Amino acid sequence: METRPYFVAGDIASNLIVGALVGGLLALVFGPGWNMFVAMVVGMILGMVISLPFAFLFGALFGAMETMLPVMTTGMLAGMVVSMGAAMEAMRFVDGALIGGVSGLGVFAVTYLANALVKPRAAKWTK
Amino acid sequence: MDEVTRRKWDRAAANFDLMAGYGPEKRWEPFKRELFSNMGEGKILFVAVGTGLDLTFFPEGRSIIGIDISQKMLDQAAPRIADYAGDLQVQQADVHDMPFAEGEFDQIFTSCTFCSVPNPIEGLKALRRVLKPGGDLFMFEHTGSRYFPFKPMMNLMTLLSRQVGPDMNRATVENVVAAGFDLQRVTHVYMDVVKTIHAVPHGS
Repeated sequence: METRPYFVAGDIASNLIVGALVGGLLALVFGPGWNMFVAMVVGMILGMVISLPFAFLFGALFGAMETMLPVMTTGMLAGMVVSMGAAMEAMRFVDGALIGGVSGLGVFAVTYLANALVKPRAAKWTK
Repeated sequence: MDEVTRRKWDRAAANFDLMAGYGPEKRWEPFKRELFSNMGEGKILFVAVGTGLDLTFFPEGRSIIGIDISQKMLDQAAPRIADYAGDLQVQQADVHDMPFAEGEFDQIFTSCTFCSVPNPIEGLKALRRVLKPGGDLFMFEHTGSRYFPFKPMMNLMTLLSRQVGPDMNRATVENVVAAGFDLQRVTHVYMDVVKTIHAVPHGS
C-alpha cells in the first residue's frame, strides 16, 4: 500500500477534485425531466469523459496508472450517482459537488483496499 | 523498421518527459531500482531507451546496449546517456528487426516497452533470439487488468492513448509465455496493472 505522504495526498486530492467537479457539473446537466436509467448511463459516460483530461494531468504529477485509474473510476461513479439523483430531484451545483467529492473519497479508499488485496495475487502466475 | 510506430514516438519525444518524467518516475522509482539491481556483469540489452528516464536507476559500471525505434527519443536522452557511469551504447533499432546476433546478450531489460510494441509476441520472440540460453529477461510493464471496472475502462482509454502513445490493455505476461519464455517471478506493483516480470527462455 502506498504510504508516501506526497502520493497519498495527491491521490486524495485528485479524486476529491475530480469527483466534485464531475458531480457539480452533472448536477447542472440533469434534472427531473430525465429518465433515471438514461440519466445514469449518460452520466457515467460524461463523468468518464470529463475526468479523462484530469486523469492525464494528475497522472503526470502523482503517478500514471495509480492516479489515472482511480480518477476515471471517480468520474464514472460520481457521474452515475449525481445524474441519477438529479433525475429524481433537481440538484444545485454545490450539492452535486458534495456528492461527487464523497464519491471520490470512496473510490480512493476502495482502490487502496483493492490494491492491497490484488497485489499478493501475482504469485498465481508462477504456480 | 515500423515507420508508423517510429513517427508516433518521434512526435511524442519533445513532450514525453512532461507526461512521464515526474509523477510516474517518482512513484515507480523504488520498484525500478530493485528491478535494475539485477543487472549483472555480462552484456545487457535495454529495449526502448526513450528519453532515458530509467538510466538514473541503473547500477554503475555495467555494459549495456540500448535501443529505441525513435531517433528523436534518443536525442532527448543524450544528456542522460552521457551521465551514465558505465559503458552504455545506444542505437536506433526496431525490436522486431534487431541487428544483433543470436544469443548475444546475457540479460535483457525492458521498461514500459511492450505497451507500445505493435506485435508484442513477435517482439518478445525477437528478444528470445538475441538472449543467451539461460539468460534473463527482466521487465517493468503496465498491462491491462482482469478486474471490473478497470478492464473496460482501460480498453476505452486505449482507443485514445494508442493514437499518441502506449496501449493500456496489453496482456504482457501471457505474451511472454506465448513467446517461449518460462516465468520465474511476477510481482504486482499496482493492482494487477503495473508489474515486474522475470522470465527465462523456455527449457533453460
